[in-house]
Amino acid sequence: MSAATLDKAPPKAKPRLSPLERSERRLGFILLAPAFLLLAVVVLYPIIELLTTSVRFYHLAQPWMGTPFIGLEHYARALSDERFWESTLNTVLYIVITVPGAVIVGLGLALLANQPFSIKWPVRLGLLLPWALPLVFAGLIFRWFFEYNQGLVNNALGFFGIGPIPWLTNPTFAFAATCIAIVWKTSSFVALVLLAGLQTIPKSLYEAAEIDGAGKWQQFVEITLPMLRPAIVVALIFRTITAIQTFDIPYAMTNGGPGHSTETLAMYIHKTTIDFLDLGYGSALAVLMFIVSVIATTGYLRHTRRDPRKA
Amino acid sequence: MAAVEIRSVRKSFGRVDVIHGIDITVDDGEFAVLVGPSGCGKSTLLRMIAGLESVSDGEIAIGGKVVNDLPPRERDIAMVFQDYALYPHKTVAENIAFGLRMRGTPKPEMEKLVREASDILQIGHLLERKPGQLSGGQRQRVAMGRAIVRRPKVFLFDEPLSNLDAQLRAEMRIEIKKLHQRFGTTIVYVTHDQIEAMTLADRIAILKGGYLQQFASPNTCYARPVNRFVAGFIGSPPMNFAETDVDAGISRLSLGQGLSVPVSPEARQRLQPAAGRRVVLGLRPEHVKPGAGGPSSVPAGVELVEPLGSETLVLLRLGDALFTGRFPAEAGLKPGDTTPVDCAFANAHLFDPQSGQALTA
Ligand SMILES: Nc1ncnc2c1ncn2[C@@H]1O[C@H](COP(=O)(O)OP(=O)(O)OP(=O)(O)O)[C@@H](O)[C@H]1O
Ligand SMILES: [Mg+2]
Repeated sequence: MSAATLDKAPPKAKPRLSPLERSERRLGFILLAPAFLLLAVVVLYPIIELLTTSVRFYHLAQPWMGTPFIGLEHYARALSDERFWESTLNTVLYIVITVPGAVIVGLGLALLANQPFSIKWPVRLGLLLPWALPLVFAGLIFRWFFEYNQGLVNNALGFFGIGPIPWLTNPTFAFAATCIAIVWKTSSFVALVLLAGLQTIPKSLYEAAEIDGAGKWQQFVEITLPMLRPAIVVALIFRTITAIQTFDIPYAMTNGGPGHSTETLAMYIHKTTIDFLDLGYGSALAVLMFIVSVIATTGYLRHTRRDPRKA
Repeated sequence: MAAVEIRSVRKSFGRVDVIHGIDITVDDGEFAVLVGPSGCGKSTLLRMIAGLESVSDGEIAIGGKVVNDLPPRERDIAMVFQDYALYPHKTVAENIAFGLRMRGTPKPEMEKLVREASDILQIGHLLERKPGQLSGGQRQRVAMGRAIVRRPKVFLFDEPLSNLDAQLRAEMRIEIKKLHQRFGTTIVYVTHDQIEAMTLADRIAILKGGYLQQFASPNTCYARPVNRFVAGFIGSPPMNFAETDVDAGISRLSLGQGLSVPVSPEARQRLQPAAGRRVVLGLRPEHVKPGAGGPSSVPAGVELVEPLGSETLVLLRLGDALFTGRFPAEAGLKPGDTTPVDCAFANAHLFDPQSGQALTA
């Protein structure tokens, strides 16, 4: 019967799996099941909770109101909420400035760390340190750096007769100071990712290029950059995702001030829920932020599918 | 075109000496092959010619000009790497054109040269592909295309065929030889395969442990090896060796276990340097033949039979010595047999047991 049915099988039918392949596939599913379950619990469940909270009135300061369903009212409120737009704009600015900033600085650090130093560990340690430092701690350090009266930066600038600059009290300077702190804190992770990428580039490519007549800069443009593209995309994705969630450093340095000039979306959500106790509205804002992250990362992932080493 | 002169060149990595003073002059248009066992310093020497490694001491000159302090791109050389080192993100055409582009060749000229090079190597249909979409042999051709397109003064090859299967290797060997005949460019070629060395080289430089052993034509290396190492390295299957005491009259050679082989009057002349002393006797497999049954034949135990189709290699026990002999295809022997064997001592090589230096001229 098997031969007969095979002959009649429509041409589009999937190729039959052998018993061995089928049992392998089953084993694969069984092995993956625990991971899927865990993912469902820690990812899916909170997202569903978030979505349902965002369409309810839920204010901890007004417990007598209960949690009635109010549809998309929170979302409508967000669209006409100036502070929401301001914090969104700030977040976008942080992304646009600190993501390329961290990638460029990180690339420089990675190239530096990839040099044939005779003693490697101080370089590697120097790379790891900013990354290993807690974010809030980094924020506090930089807050102290940019202090108006005794801060390191103003002291140094004063040495050249510049300043003192109101780093943390002028909106533009405060934004610049937080950007510098973020780039410092995050470029070391980018550097680690890119360093790993650099080390996969065969040395013989550079030797061939050198014999072919390429100088150092041409080697960088013609070999290093294209070969590093997958690593750069990975670094960009990670950096963008963390930039969307920018919170700790501005929180520790300026607490969003002066005014709301350094307040990010994540900070506004935090304030809405923790300070204003409006869980419903906070959840709606979080959903909006989540949508932005998804859009941004799918854009990148499209790019990664093209591996320059292959087609 | 240019000669490559290597004068008293030394190389050390930190405190480790790798090349201990080598002198080789590769003539203009010559095909020189560097051979030797793994780790003997072949690649290091080649990379010093390329400028990829610094020269610790001595001089390297290309075309009469000392290049010790010139970077690779100013030496006008091209190199084919063992792993081909093709740029993975560039197409075949871009790979081949890269060196021209870096040197500012105008585009129409560049396209013409790339077309020419790819026609010579029969890779014209692959120009738009990336290296990842090529077979090993095709990559090898692209790597050679990248080298020949610039018409450099010297080609350097570092084991270019070692990643190919036996058949393709034989094919590419012919291809490389044809390229050399066509362009007449000086070539320095590194390999550890003595067959490649024999078939390709005008002259072979045999290295061992960072020392040059012999630099001579393949036939000279084969027929007149300067020491036991060269004798054993060149030739396949390798030369047979046996340590033996020779009497003053050179009438018999004792091979141990009570076996002593008579020496024919013709061979006595050849063995003259061994008279009354202990020597290492070397005999190539083609000089160990089935015995005619006369007084010169000695009985030998058959240990192993390797049929090759055109002939059969037979491993024979002669006293303490194990000799490989080239026998006719239908020798009809099997392990355990005893068969008469003729050793043509008139073709023997003699080496000093301590120094390994050749005693025969
Ligand atoms: N960068 C380096 N640092 C230290 N030692 C090195 C370096 N490069 C090579 N060597 C040493 O120099 C010696 C010669 O190396 P080389 O690569 O020239 O050998 P080779 O003859 O090409 O061997 P193979 O046939 O295996 O390629 C080896 O003992 C190797 O360990
Ligand atoms: Mg080598």
